[in-house]
Amino acid sequence: VGRKSTIMRQGDRPAQAMVNLDELLIRVENDRALLCELIGIFKEEFPPLLQSLQYAVAHGDMKNVEAKSHALKGMLAGLSVTRAAEMASELEQTARDGETLELIDSLTLLEREVASLFPELDGYLIEMGQ
Amino acid sequence: MNILIADDDSMSRHLLEKTLRREGYGVITVDNGRSALQQLLLPNGPRLALLDWMMPEMDGLGVCREIRKDHERPYVHIILLTSRRSKQDVVAGLEAGADDYLTKPWDPGELTARLRVGQRILQLEDRLVEARDSMRFKATHDHLTSLFNRGIILDLLSRELSRTRREEGCTVVMLGDLDHFKSVNDTYGHVVGDEVLREVSRRLLASVRSYDFVGRYGGEEFLIVLNNCDANKAIVRAEEVRSAIANHAVQTMRGPLPVTMSLGIFASRDWDLWLVEDVLREVDLALYAAKADGRNCVRLAKPTVLSAAPNPPVE
Repeated sequence: VGRKSTIMRQGDRPAQAMVNLDELLIRVENDRALLCELIGIFKEEFPPLLQSLQYAVAHGDMKNVEAKSHALKGMLAGLSVTRAAEMASELEQTARDGETLELIDSLTLLEREVASLFPELDGYLIEMGQ
Repeated sequence: MNILIADDDSMSRHLLEKTLRREGYGVITVDNGRSALQQLLLPNGPRLALLDWMMPEMDGLGVCREIRKDHERPYVHIILLTSRRSKQDVVAGLEAGADDYLTKPWDPGELTARLRVGQRILQLEDRLVEARDSMRFKATHDHLTSLFNRGIILDLLSRELSRTRREEGCTVVMLGDLDHFKSVNDTYGHVVGDEVLREVSRRLLASVRSYDFVGRYGGEEFLIVLNNCDANKAIVRAEEVRSAIANHAVQTMRGPLPVTMSLGIFASRDWDLWLVEDVLREVDLALYAAKADGRNCVRLAKPTVLSAAPNPPVE
């Protein structure tokens, strides 16, 4: 159901699109329903995970920073949010290296990067009639 | 074929599950390494597994190591899912026991291609195991009757005698010989003779317990080893075997043929003999006595003569 559909013409997509939609569509094999399900899971699980990361950074809990940023990286990469996934990866590496001072800056960059992600995802859902 | 997906990222799990179901696979999903290991260790558990590298409770490498410890179980083909790309990480994954790895985020075409490779390897492994089992069976069983062959039944007898002596128990040994079998071959031909041997073998197996041993000792001679058998019941058990052969004619392509068996019996508790050769000598003498007494009967080796008896111990 919903396969082989065009979701949004490339020209209609947000100029600063965070999601690499072309790549994501290949990964879901053009299954529009599946794409909506993945976005739904992401919207549900990303905020509490980000909060856990923020909490771990605030408390200098490097082990948890590494684990949570690794999980965020996986989620972001899974949804082809490529640049943010790289930022999460850098955060993970920073925690692994024990560079406490750089954590807050790295987290701030990530937070800014994903600030407009949810509206973009909502746009895709509306486009797909969900 | 069932595939285990182990990943703590629910998006990954969902996407993998949908992709694999679309390809026709059965899917089992878990969200941590411990549950993955439990699934893989189940009897008839999945033989193909996609394991995330980093998982709570036990990581993918840990699952690989645990699975590879058990060499008796059917092989599990493991593909590690990882966002790690360094050669060191790949080597660590393969060293831990993974067969392959896939970098996240994966391409669905590459994923299914690698799973098909895994399936081919498992099919090859199954064929090799099947061939090994078949060769093992042929090496240990008589090709005509499928009973244990002479070498194996003697080996089993030796082990059983040792065990019995250690545990101060009793092993009962029976040597059975079909009466006038040569005339069956001479009158009806060897094909009919083979039919008789197969049916007799089937009846012998049916007349002993599942943990007793039955082997083809020679042409029409059969050796039966009754484990942990009460010496007082040896004759009763032998009579059961004898009547299982004699009570019903064997149906052959040349019609029903009456067949009988003479049996010599040896109960290890009655003798201080623990060498297979000695036991065989005594049970053979008892069989000789059964033949001399008119056939279709059982005779027990007597514990009165312990060495080089000039006359067979006859009951």
